[in-house]
Amino acid sequence: MAASGAARPSRRLLATERHREALAGYLFILPTFIGYAVFIIGPIFAAIGLSLTRYDMLSAPEFVGLSNYAELWSDRRLWAVYRNTIVFTVFAVLLNVGVGLVLAVLINRHMPPVLKYFFRTVYFFPVLVALAYSAVIWQFLYQKDTGVINYYLGFAGIAPIGWLNTRTWVMPAIILMDVWKNTGFFMLVFLAGLQNIPQSYYEAAKLDGAGRWQLFRFITLPMLSPTIFFNITVAMIGALQVFDSIRVLTDGGPGDASRSLIMYITEMAFQNFEMGYASAISITLFAVIVVLTLIQFRMGRYWVYYD
Amino acid sequence: MATTSRLDAQAAAERRTVRYDRLIDAAAIAVLFLGAAVMVLPFMWMFSTSLRLTADAFKLPPDWIPRQWHWENYAAVFQSSVPFVRFALNSSIVTSLVVVGQLVTCSMAAFAFAKLRFPGRNLLFFVLLASLMVPGQVTIIPVFIIMRQLGLVDSLAALILPSLISAFGVFLLRQFFLGLPQDLIEAAKIDGAGPFMQFARIALPLAGPALASLAIITFNGTWNNYFNPYIFINTWEKMTLPLGITVLRGYLNSGSIAALMAGVTMAILPMLVFFLIAQRWFIQGVTHTGIKG
Repeated sequence: MAASGAARPSRRLLATERHREALAGYLFILPTFIGYAVFIIGPIFAAIGLSLTRYDMLSAPEFVGLSNYAELWSDRRLWAVYRNTIVFTVFAVLLNVGVGLVLAVLINRHMPPVLKYFFRTVYFFPVLVALAYSAVIWQFLYQKDTGVINYYLGFAGIAPIGWLNTRTWVMPAIILMDVWKNTGFFMLVFLAGLQNIPQSYYEAAKLDGAGRWQLFRFITLPMLSPTIFFNITVAMIGALQVFDSIRVLTDGGPGDASRSLIMYITEMAFQNFEMGYASAISITLFAVIVVLTLIQFRMGRYWVYYD
Repeated sequence: MATTSRLDAQAAAERRTVRYDRLIDAAAIAVLFLGAAVMVLPFMWMFSTSLRLTADAFKLPPDWIPRQWHWENYAAVFQSSVPFVRFALNSSIVTSLVVVGQLVTCSMAAFAFAKLRFPGRNLLFFVLLASLMVPGQVTIIPVFIIMRQLGLVDSLAALILPSLISAFGVFLLRQFFLGLPQDLIEAAKIDGAGPFMQFARIALPLAGPALASLAIITFNGTWNNYFNPYIFINTWEKMTLPLGITVLRGYLNSGSIAALMAGVTMAILPMLVFFLIAQRWFIQGVTHTGIKG
């Protein structure tokens, strides 16, 4: 008792100091959380609320229950844009991550540092160029009669392809440009991942007589699996929101053949002023992203290897 | 005798694999050069077209290396009734305010989450992190309604305000602050420094590289953003470059594709120069995100 009596003043001092620290902590996060409440959390709940209404921004929102969601099922165009978005996502993720991995493995081989620097710079640069600018350039490269791509394909005896105005070729064209634009990002992340693999693992395996493919399959791939996982997640969330490139290249055409989900949402909301219905669609996208991310994390347990 | 010959055979086999490895290296370099050409050609086409006479714009095969030097195409961008300078100015205003804003809000919150103790800290951080899963496009309708209520539709403020905070930025900087030795903070405390002093005098000056990474990622994302201006802005006077370029495209039409490419070249140039100067930070930023994300 006597001892604690002596300690009391300093404990009180400590308590006020702890109070001060906590107060400072709340003050420091306040700006972030104000913005968070107004522009992220608030709008999520508002979007859920709006999806239960009919609202054209002129008259007050009218509560309609789940009827917007019921309408989704019979909306033929919605199915079409969902299909486009999923096709885009599957191929964009596979190609962006796959090509990025191949490039990183190649650049990681033995070569003069100047070359490494050069390749890294060249492959990464398009990542920094706005998708909108890339699309403005590629739109001309893709032209059927005047475009550079068809001109060179002509030498291989390939008849001019209607890249941007036929249903068959419009999605491949958009995906191809996306890979050109984005794969450098994944390459760079893979390069960092490759450099984190201890060289001694390879040497030990070589002593055991492992061949090239075995080194890649049993050392590189498992050691790289967290990076692959990260890249797939990032690529997927990005691809599901594809907008800029398609808006500039084709504006969704021909017909709805290349229209993405986000384009459809903005059309419904800002051209047709069906805010409630558009909100219901965006809630479905949100749900898809959450579910896919959770599935990814669940599946990741089986193939992602952490030290 | 027997052992030496076996060693010889082993050495020969090793030499063979090394030689084979060199061959693969050479093949890798060849493939990478081919791919590099694909990466660069669209930009070369853009640049050489920007210097051609409009009549030659669709010439096939195109001159990959410019042979004509019609710099007046660049002047034409400024002389057209599309306010290109205004676009560039708007982009600069929006980008610089967003970058500065995020550096302030994110570094403060990140420091608090990394180094200050307060009840609910972990829960609040988790709640913030969860929002990384929410794409901006999903919340765009309510945010648009908010902006309309505030009378900010078709103003630069609509592009700036929602971007002044970033959950990603808080996450990135928190990782950095976590790595700062606690001893530094404790020493400052003994010298009587409160939380503000610890933040401003100790943590911030050491955070240069992390702040640079965040600044660059934010700069790039904001400078290139097309979606938000597309939703919020509808007059030329308020447009930023990416949206402005697409307006320029419609306005000049295919007749003046040379001038359009001149505009695109000028819009891309700052990014190229900036990248060549600050490449280290760009790469560090991406690497940080990838490895620690």
